[in-house]
Amino acid sequence: MSGLSRREFFGAPALIGLWGKTDRKITGGFVNDSFPLGHRLRDRGAFRAPTRQLRVPIVIVGGGIAGLNGAWHLDKRGFRDFVLLEMERQAGGNSRWGENEVSRFPWAAHYVPVPAKGESLARELFEELGVLRDGKWDERVLCFDPQERLFINGHWQEGIEPEDSATPRDRGQFRRFQEKINELRGTGEFTVPMERGAKPSPLDRMSMKEWLAQERFDSIPLRWYIDYACRDDYGALAKDTSAWAGIQYFASREPEEKGPLTWPEGNGWIAARLMEKLKRYLRTGGVVYRVVRDGNKIRVLTEQTEYVADAVIWAAPTFLASYVIEGAPRAEGFQYSPWLTANLTLDRIPDQKNAEPAWDNVIYDSPALGYVNATHMNLATHVDRTVWTFYWSLAGYTPEDGRRLLLTRDWNYWKEAILNDLSRAHPNIRQCVAHIDIMRIGHAMARPSPGFLFSEARERWLKPAGNIFCANSDLSGFSIFEEAQYRGVKAATGALRVVGRA
Amino acid sequence: MSIAFFLSVFLIAACGLIYELIAGTLASYLLGDTIFQFSTVIGCYLFAMGIGSYLSRFLHRGLVARFVSIELMVGMVGGFSSSLLFLAFAYTEAFRLVLYVVVILVGTLVGLEIPLLMRILKERFQFRELVSHVLTFDYLGALGASLLFPILLVPKLGLVRSALVFGIFNAGVALWSTYLFREQIGRSHYLRAGCFVVIALLGAGTVFADRISSAADNSLYADQVIFSRTTPYQRIVLTKWKDDLRLFLNSHLQFSSRDEYRYHEALVHPGLAALPGARHVLVLGGGDGLAVREILRYPSVEAVTLVDLDPEMTRLFSTHPVMSVLNQHSLTDARVHVINADAFRWLDTNTEQYDFIVADFPDPTSYALGKLFTTAFYRLASKHLASGGLLVVQSTSPLFARQSYWCIVESVKQAGLRVYPYHVYVPSFGEWGYVIGGFAPYQPPKQLPTGLRFLSTANVGELFVFPVDMQPVAAEPNRLNNQVLVRYYEQDWKDVAH
Repeated sequence: MSGLSRREFFGAPALIGLWGKTDRKITGGFVNDSFPLGHRLRDRGAFRAPTRQLRVPIVIVGGGIAGLNGAWHLDKRGFRDFVLLEMERQAGGNSRWGENEVSRFPWAAHYVPVPAKGESLARELFEELGVLRDGKWDERVLCFDPQERLFINGHWQEGIEPEDSATPRDRGQFRRFQEKINELRGTGEFTVPMERGAKPSPLDRMSMKEWLAQERFDSIPLRWYIDYACRDDYGALAKDTSAWAGIQYFASREPEEKGPLTWPEGNGWIAARLMEKLKRYLRTGGVVYRVVRDGNKIRVLTEQTEYVADAVIWAAPTFLASYVIEGAPRAEGFQYSPWLTANLTLDRIPDQKNAEPAWDNVIYDSPALGYVNATHMNLATHVDRTVWTFYWSLAGYTPEDGRRLLLTRDWNYWKEAILNDLSRAHPNIRQCVAHIDIMRIGHAMARPSPGFLFSEARERWLKPAGNIFCANSDLSGFSIFEEAQYRGVKAATGALRVVGRA
Repeated sequence: MSIAFFLSVFLIAACGLIYELIAGTLASYLLGDTIFQFSTVIGCYLFAMGIGSYLSRFLHRGLVARFVSIELMVGMVGGFSSSLLFLAFAYTEAFRLVLYVVVILVGTLVGLEIPLLMRILKERFQFRELVSHVLTFDYLGALGASLLFPILLVPKLGLVRSALVFGIFNAGVALWSTYLFREQIGRSHYLRAGCFVVIALLGAGTVFADRISSAADNSLYADQVIFSRTTPYQRIVLTKWKDDLRLFLNSHLQFSSRDEYRYHEALVHPGLAALPGARHVLVLGGGDGLAVREILRYPSVEAVTLVDLDPEMTRLFSTHPVMSVLNQHSLTDARVHVINADAFRWLDTNTEQYDFIVADFPDPTSYALGKLFTTAFYRLASKHLASGGLLVVQSTSPLFARQSYWCIVESVKQAGLRVYPYHVYVPSFGEWGYVIGGFAPYQPPKQLPTGLRFLSTANVGELFVFPVDMQPVAAEPNRLNNQVLVRYYEQDWKDVAH
């Protein structure tokens, strides 16, 4: 007290009164950083030599969805003599998840659109996981109503298509866009997985933005909506996205049921089930730092073990191959969008401005993608604490600039940016958040830049290189669950042929 | 000296803007649709100011006295504007009319202020200087008010008090003017007395502001409020008028003690009386203990489990002297086990089987409550039915919310149960609906417990007959991923209300 001047003593409470409640202390930090290890691989840093050698016919490198599904396929075919190597302590890749005293929550991928009748691989997996029974989807994993909402003009509207500010002209363009998409869907070229229907197309040579201009779509809400879709699925703006990929987002799906499939921990639920089934093959926490061909064998080196294999499934991101696989060329043309995800633990629910909370919550004209509510899939009618997963693809920057920003800004910078963004829709957010963990992913998802999908550069990596089969979803040009699963299973099929079990 | 004149301009400009903001905010609070309310309030207000400016030409003599009385009128009307609007909303049907009359009245009076003041001051200043000063302070006052309003006034004082405080400012300007312009008005005892009266009235209003808001709150319930508490889950309000007790949850009527026996007898007995020898009963929701009171009439019942979310609710109905008499101390009966939990989650983690399950939840007014009326919920409930057991669901009104009612019936059916819909007339609710679900075929009971006031073996069968205006309509089942019921319900009741 003695240190306070008279003015401070009388002034401080008045100021506090003026500014409302003082902001509470928010804890947190960066978590799951993977770039130190990635940079060591890139810079050919020193790794210990393995102390033992193991003979294993098939080695899968990378425990994300592609690697896990490769393993799932091998196991299903009755092939048990393989290992799945994951450099992180937790497998799952982009489907990793976390858990705290409030809820489980996703770290990245958080849903799978309800697979259509033709998506046999995805349906087979979901039948095995008990999500699809006798052609019926388990009601408890179909995203509860209300699914999505958009904060626009100072209030929440249901759904993400900006209905609220749409003029009749905008609505007309939304309708015409839908008709155009239906027409393109009719060509059968836009399928999931993409390889089933994709044919080289002039649409890949222009950007989504150019295509919109060519088709005379100039409605501002429609353009925002399409830009949002590109940022959400590809981490790129419409001007940096291949028109073919932009259309694929809309034209490839015709769900038979209102979805998507989702869980509190997002696709972590699928990853966890697969890891449980496949735990006997899974080796985590050991980075594969070198892959060397040796006659018709392939030596796969970790700091503990040298595996001598007949076939290798490279399910790690393709760009890493040139740093690890001896003689592998650089992955030309492959681009990756940097992302930031944050999990916010809220110990009370912020003001909703008379709207009911939805699963996916988007703020119009925000540079970020919004947030997903982890307790939305909770059966309870009343929740008083929750976890929000905040997504931010740094699409406004080049991937290099985005990565630099991720590495150079501190936690406080991102925390403030996130809270400022959310406070537009939830003015009292700062009084509700207790903890914010932030995960920075430099190469989060493949970016389908114009020209890449039907380029020779991509084509080259689809063929196995001397019994090394690439399997990452980035081979499709974009990172979605079904592409990862398809690539993983396809690579596993190739590897089985090598070991004579096809 | 001159600064004193312009300070008055500053103050009256601030007051004028505050009344406008209060009217706009109140209208948005109470009616919703912010854009419409603010646009029309601002439009009417500015237009009325134009009327005021125009009318100012007809005032010729005694300008200072006129100005003082106009200030007093602005103070009174503006100062009491929010109280008046709150009460109009609570007690009359004519809120919109009162709103626009108040806005136009205040606007007209405020429109008179500046032209009059300029004419009063024109002798003392050069015209060029006068216009510049008056308008400068006018706009400054508006800025001050518009910043003060959201940052300080609404959060700290509230709408009722803010208006009253600014009314006092207007009256203060009036009083001050009688001194500032004393050469021009000479003896002004009447005016000054008037100022003091207005200030006293507004001051009294400020002191009693809380009573004004609670009077408005009270009136939303027609009767005297004898208990009200906001819990983390809901707002519980009990009212009493003569011998009629009423329970409201979030302003929705749950029962009236005059006719609740009709509702609760119909909820419990058609199902439970058809299950001779039923031993284990589960009640989901129904924290008032009235359904349990009916269940305890059966000597065969060994255990009743009541799951209600809100501990405050079950505590109130266990201990309140009046309420525990109404439910005949059912919640403290040795056979009854009260659990405070979220029903869906609780059921999901529980493995017990029950002969009879009662789902007595509030109507599906939100997606959160709507989950308790989904196929997933009924499927889960059906897994807890003992062999031959029955489920009964409170299903809103088949008359007022016909599609909602049949949507609930369809949802129970889609969960794999045979459905037996029925209804009853409860005067305080109107026609009310229920549905019995079970795996085995069901027949209305041939015997009922003694002591019932409404149901008899003669009329129980009639409940299952639906007159033409309540007969089935097409409705989708309510699912977790597509809560059609919440939309049906909103539409149904909107149609009833208009």
